[in-house]
Amino acid sequence: MKGEIVERVVTYVAKAIAEEPEAVRVEMIDEGPDRVLAEVRTAKRDMGRVIGRRGRVANAFRTLAQAAGDEEGIQASVEFVD
Amino acid sequence: MEGEVNTRVEGDIIYAEVTGDQTEALVGPKGAILDAVMELCRTMVHRHSQSGARLRLDIAGYAERRREALRIYARRLAEKVVAEGGEIMLEPMNPADRKVVHDAIAEIDGVRSFSEGEDPERSVVIAPDEDDEDEED
Repeated sequence: MKGEIVERVVTYVAKAIAEEPEAVRVEMIDEGPDRVLAEVRTAKRDMGRVIGRRGRVANAFRTLAQAAGDEEGIQASVEFVD
Repeated sequence: MEGEVNTRVEGDIIYAEVTGDQTEALVGPKGAILDAVMELCRTMVHRHSQSGARLRLDIAGYAERRREALRIYARRLAEKVVAEGGEIMLEPMNPADRKVVHDAIAEIDGVRSFSEGEDPERSVVIAPDEDDEDEED
């Protein structure tokens, strides 16, 4: 399935970072023939942690997701949803 | 992709080295993926230990090659300062890179180094060593 590696990587890392891993939800959204978006939801208190100061951790997620997307030949982006 | 991770702990620093076939792919352009993986691993470490443990991650020897390039660059600038006098300010660097430069400069007679400015714009300055002042971060 398209975006499967991206989903696995993003989910693994988000759960490892979160205080409440069981509350982590990653929804993959099809954005075209070779584009996917990973929407990440966490417990309220984990949002700051997965985004990080000045979005540093969020940007690291995006870089890693794109690297995973490269494995599948697709563009991958990540958004964090409150 | 086959790889292995070796970790060791020295003081409050965790060193993790990823080696193996094709692990260069994990470094990314200008080390972008390496930096991202390090940022995420750091965040994980902080989540699992409340201590201020620090993490240094290297993949396929990239970080060490980069540090060596930084040392060579610092030495070259130090030679210029010794030969021509005056101070040279380097481009802004993160604390880990500044430490590499300070350590390299500390081994050279006739120059000293210090940092100026505030992160993320803090920069190392290499200057002639007139009064035996120690280098400082």
